[in-house]
Formats: sequence, C-alpha cells, structure tokens
Amino acid sequence: MANLNIRSKQERTYQAIVIGSGISGAWAAKELCDLGVKTLMLERGRNVEHVKDYPTTNMLPYEFPHRNQIPQDIQEANPVISRCYAFREDAMHFFVKDTDHPYVQEKPFDWIRGYQVGGKSLLWARQVQRWSDFDFDGPARDGFAVDWPIRYKDIEKWYSHVEKFAGVSGFKDGIPHLPDGEFLPGYELNVVEKYFAEQLKKHYGNDRHMISARCAHIHGNTEYYAQQGRAMCQNRNLCQRGCPFGGYFSSNSSTIPWALKTGNLTLRPDAVVHSIIYDEEKGKATGVRIIDRLTKETEEFYADVIFVNAAALNTNAILLNSTSNRFPNGLGNDNGLLGKYVAFHNYRARVSGEYEGHSEFTTSGGRPTSGYFPRFRNVYKQETDFLRGYAAGFSASRGVGPDTSGIGMDLKNSLLNPDKYGPWRVGSHMMGETIPKESNYVALDPNLKDEWGMPQLKISVDYDDNDEKMVKDYIEQMTEMFTKAGFTNIHSSDSKQAPGLDIHEMGGVRMGKDPKTSLLNANHQLHAVPNVYVTDGASMTSTSTQNPSLTYMAFAARAAHHAVAESKK
Amino acid sequence: MNRRHALRHIALISGGLALIPSCDFSKEDILAAYQNLKITQSQKDLLGAVSDTIIPAGEIKGALNLEVHDFILVMVNDCFTKENQEKFTAGLTAFPDYVKESKGKKYTELSTKEKEQLILDAAKLEGDDSEEGKRKAAIAYFVNSTKRFTIQGYMASEYIQTEIIPYSLIPGEYNGAVLINDLQKPRING
Repeated sequence: MANLNIRSKQERTYQAIVIGSGISGAWAAKELCDLGVKTLMLERGRNVEHVKDYPTTNMLPYEFPHRNQIPQDIQEANPVISRCYAFREDAMHFFVKDTDHPYVQEKPFDWIRGYQVGGKSLLWARQVQRWSDFDFDGPARDGFAVDWPIRYKDIEKWYSHVEKFAGVSGFKDGIPHLPDGEFLPGYELNVVEKYFAEQLKKHYGNDRHMISARCAHIHGNTEYYAQQGRAMCQNRNLCQRGCPFGGYFSSNSSTIPWALKTGNLTLRPDAVVHSIIYDEEKGKATGVRIIDRLTKETEEFYADVIFVNAAALNTNAILLNSTSNRFPNGLGNDNGLLGKYVAFHNYRARVSGEYEGHSEFTTSGGRPTSGYFPRFRNVYKQETDFLRGYAAGFSASRGVGPDTSGIGMDLKNSLLNPDKYGPWRVGSHMMGETIPKESNYVALDPNLKDEWGMPQLKISVDYDDNDEKMVKDYIEQMTEMFTKAGFTNIHSSDSKQAPGLDIHEMGGVRMGKDPKTSLLNANHQLHAVPNVYVTDGASMTSTSTQNPSLTYMAFAARAAHHAVAESKK
Repeated sequence: MNRRHALRHIALISGGLALIPSCDFSKEDILAAYQNLKITQSQKDLLGAVSDTIIPAGEIKGALNLEVHDFILVMVNDCFTKENQEKFTAGLTAFPDYVKESKGKKYTELSTKEKEQLILDAAKLEGDDSEEGKRKAAIAYFVNSTKRFTIQGYMASEYIQTEIIPYSLIPGEYNGAVLINDLQKPRING
C-alpha cells in the first residue's frame, strides 16, 4: 500500500486527535480547542459545510422528482437503510447505503449510519432528556452489567454546560427521574396533549406524566446564539436536510465552526481510521493510522491524547482493529470484553387511537417537538416481572383533508378547499431500556473486508425475554391509559423491528470501576491506555430510557476537560 | 425533470439508439424515458386524457395542463415494484378495449359525464383468478393508481404550490388550540 507519510512527522503531530466529527466527537474537539489544544479531527466521510452543503434545504415539495419517495431500485438494493424513517429523497445523501458499507448480521441488525462531517448530528431526532441517578444506579440496584463508576453529580454541571451552548428548549417539570436543565422557553403542548396529561394526573396521581419533550432547538436568547451564527428555529420540520438557520443543534452548525474559529482545529475529512498506534516502550498510544477514503493511501498522525468518537459500533471496530504485541485482541482489551455488552433501545411497539373530544379545536403552525412520557415502571423499586422500564413519545394531531371519492370538478373543488376535519389522532411509541449482555456483541469478521481493506464488523445483537415482557406491558399500560382518557379506536402494534433501527446502539467499551470487568474508568479513559478516551455511545454501561445524545455530549465535554487537566500535571 | 432531459439527450447523441431495444417497426415506438415500462406515445396520451377527466381544467388549470401524466409515469417507472408496474401497464393496455366494450366508443369520443362514470366504474372492478378477472383487476389497479398519482402530482405541482395555494417553508409558531370557526379561508373555485 502506498504511503503518504511524506510530510514531516512534525507536520503530522498535534496535541490531540479526535476520531469522528459527529455529536460527541465535535463536542470533544470544541472543548479541547477552547482550552487551547491543537486538535486534529478525523472524519471518514466527506466534508459537509454548514448551509453550503445542504443541497435540499430550501427545496420545495414539487422540486423532488418523486415527491420525497425513495425509488424502488434504491430500496431493493438497500433494504436496511430503507427501513429508516428519515431515509427519504430529501436526506438520502446523508445516509450510508447498505451497498457502500457492508457488514455482517449474525442476527438481524439495522445499522443506520451517516458517514460525513457532522455524522448523524445532521439527522438526529434532537430529543435531549437528562439521565438521572435512577438510571446510573440501575445496574447496581438491579444486578446487571456492572456499576456505573459515576453518578448524576459527576455529570450535572456538564449537562448544563452543553445544554446552554447547544440550545435546549423545555419546561422545568420537576420530575425526579427526569432532571430539569438549562432551558430556553419550551414548546407548549396542544390542547389534546394537555388533556391527556390532565387525565394521567386524574387517574394515576403523580406517577405518570406527559410533558413537552425537551429538544435541541433555539427558542429564545437569540443574541447568545448569534455568536455561533445560529438563529431561532423556524418550525420548518425539515431538519434532516440540514438547517440553514442553525435552528437545531448539529456539529456542522455549532461545535465545528466554533472550534475552527479558535484556530486550533484541523479538520481532516476522508480519513478512514485504520487503527490507533500503540507504542510499547512508552506504554501509551501515540497516534492514529488512516487510509485516505479516495486515494486509499495510508498516513499516520500523532498526538499526546486520542479521543475515539467514531459512533458506538465503529468505535468498537477501531479499538478491535488496533492490535499490537501488548494488545493482541484490541486496544485496552485485557479482559476480552471489548465489543461485548452491547445494548440499545427497544422501539418496537406503538399504540394509536382517536379522540372525539375537543372537536372545535385544531392546530396551526409548526413545532420541532412533541409530547414525552417519562418512565414510570420500576423507578423507585422493582415492581414488575421485567427489569427497568420504558419512556414513550406521545403526540396528538388533527388533519383536515379533502373528500377524494369524487371525480372531475367535484374532486377538484374538494381538493382545493379541504374542510373535512377528522377526529384528533393520538399516537405513542415506546422507548425501552434494554439490558446489556455478554451475548450481545460485535466483533471483526476474520475474512470479509470492506473497500479499504478494513475487516467488516460482525454484529450479533438480539432481544431477550425482558424485552418481550416490556413490549407487552407497554401495550397493556398505554392501551389502559388511552382508554381511561376516553380515546377510541385504540390499536397497538409490535413491529418486531430488528435492533439498530432505534439508532441508539450503545456499549462494547463500557465504563466501570474495575479493569477486570470494564474497559473505561470514571473519566472515560481506557483503563490500560489512559491517554485514549472514549466518550460516545460505546462507553455506555447501561442504556437508560432517555435519548442518549445529550449524555454523550456531556461526557465528551467532561472528558476533554479531564484530558487537559491531566496534561498540565 | 432533469433525468428526463438527460435521457432525451442520450437518445439524441446515440442517434435514437435508446429506442432500439424495443423497436418493432410494425408497431409504435416505446418511449425510452420510462425504461421500465413499455409505453407508447398513444398510451401516454390516453393517460393524459384520463388524468384530465380526474382533474379537468376550469377557472384554474387542470391535470393535463400541468402534464401530470408525465409525473404518473415517472412514479410508476421509478417507485413501483416490477409486479405492480406490470399490473399498471396491463391495465393501461386493456383500457381502450374496456372502453369500447362498455361504451361502444373510443375514450376521447365520450362526453365528460360518460368519461367520469366510466372511471368511477372502472375503479370498482373486481377481479379473480380467471384471465378475465385478472384483466379487470389490472384495469381497476391502473385507474386507482392513476387517480392517486393525479391528485398527488396535481396538488404537489409548482403551479398549485406557488400560484393557487402557496407553500410556505416557514409555517410560523405553533398554536395548539385554534378554534376551527375562527379559520376563514376564501373558497377557491376550480
């Protein structure tokens, strides 16, 4: 293989290297750069510059040749990515196609990826609920995985730190297991969502809540965000195209341009990381070996500290591929647990219904969020035949449509003057915590390689009995709540979708107190290689029910400050 | 419509080669723009006439004015499974004979009323496993798909979304409790 190391070693040396430019990597880079650290950020995909590289962002519906539908040949060639709700004509270019980056499914796993600068931060659902000690205490209390080496008090100020900068809208709801944060004004629930919240109070006391979901959208304090070149969210709901206003938080709109402005960041797109270089004499990692995506040539970069933020499963893949005499089974993998205890969120079930009440009302305008139903099962003590619990999304909406039964001028006038209001439609989807297990793992395939000669990732992750019981309980409980609220035509469904489609895969490089049973310490350093930090989804010891991105951001910021403090010792 | 233009260019550059694979000089040329369908110009014209029955021109333009039948063929060509493409084209192919059998005339010779009734009736045809049943099912499938795409292509057209019911990229602040009676919208006459 050709070698690109023609530039002097000094030119390829930085103080820190961050692998990955997604939500967590860009946070690590931003903090390091703010602290004066010369940082190289490696991204395997192409560059995506804010606004400039959002080709569809202002396109009108009629400008999409298939009105946003994915053509059949693309769907047939790419069944995994075609199952993702956001893989549509308007955002297709930000998703990895199955055919471009194959992987091995030992069990069905829908691996949804975004290989570009900004990663999936361009595409995420922007829901940012804090975790609490009811989550961090979980494994120790319920006897699974290992105890988290940190608690809420360790991360609380970092939640505030990232919330302020990213911009999070929400209300202070005072729910112990869903801590309040640094919020911009929240988005009000609509009349039927509020009604459901009242009904829950009436029937379940203070145990079950329905709140406006906290979301990473700018909804106030515009002067502060103008410093980042970002403006108010315009309620377009076209986020997945990239937002020209920077209305929602993404690496591209926020942390990356901010870090570049410090003069301390070097961004290197098209850098497929091969491995982390380990120096046995020095007893630490010294750099990163990459393969150029386009030329396929290799190059090495060096730094004192390395952050691995390649997104959960790819972080596992990089560490597994970073072998040396000292670490024949992957970097920091003395206990053989690297790649194991992978978990995710159980998004299988939905409950929907209709509501005949409040028929005089509808809604207008747009909003970037909807209702959130925090976990209520097993919060204070174990009370069901399954461990942990589930949160749920909830929303109510009312459509107005034309009568399309006719033909000719009747049909035309009906289409142009839609006035048929149906009942309110209500819908909910579960977000269940899953239990990390050794048998849910990723590994490198010994034979199959990708276009860059990298071993393909083999994924073996499945549901278990706990998940089945939780699906059943969610359907029963949500159906009961809908019934008590007077909703009708209640339907439930279990999609039986494969793990992965939740896009919340976590673990494999878990944190823990004991190097014998975990890979990372309380500061996100590899126990065995302390100048390597992992602060993305790979580091998660358990999964909580809350969307994890906010926690990755807080972890990355916290770890970056730790790394800088260490370097000054 | 860039792809359409591109295909046209290819056809010009290659001296019409794009037409040749399905060329039988005793018959009409197959339109190369819809490469998964075997559609002739007269079939496309018939589709245009059907779309014009579904949404006719009046005070404002109709489906045929907006060439919605091109959109229909793009969708069937690009977004249908092979099986559904075959069903659609089988229905389109059988449609002229069906018109003759039920009305004794060509489609274009029918009055507006007759056309409308024919489309409504055809949409309700029920099929079975017999040859005749399959033919009926294909006709119903063709008519229903055409109606659905006519509505979609018409309502999501540049004309409607700029001149008649302007589409807004910025929908405004959310109001979660709007009284329907307070909404006053001027009636649009088609």
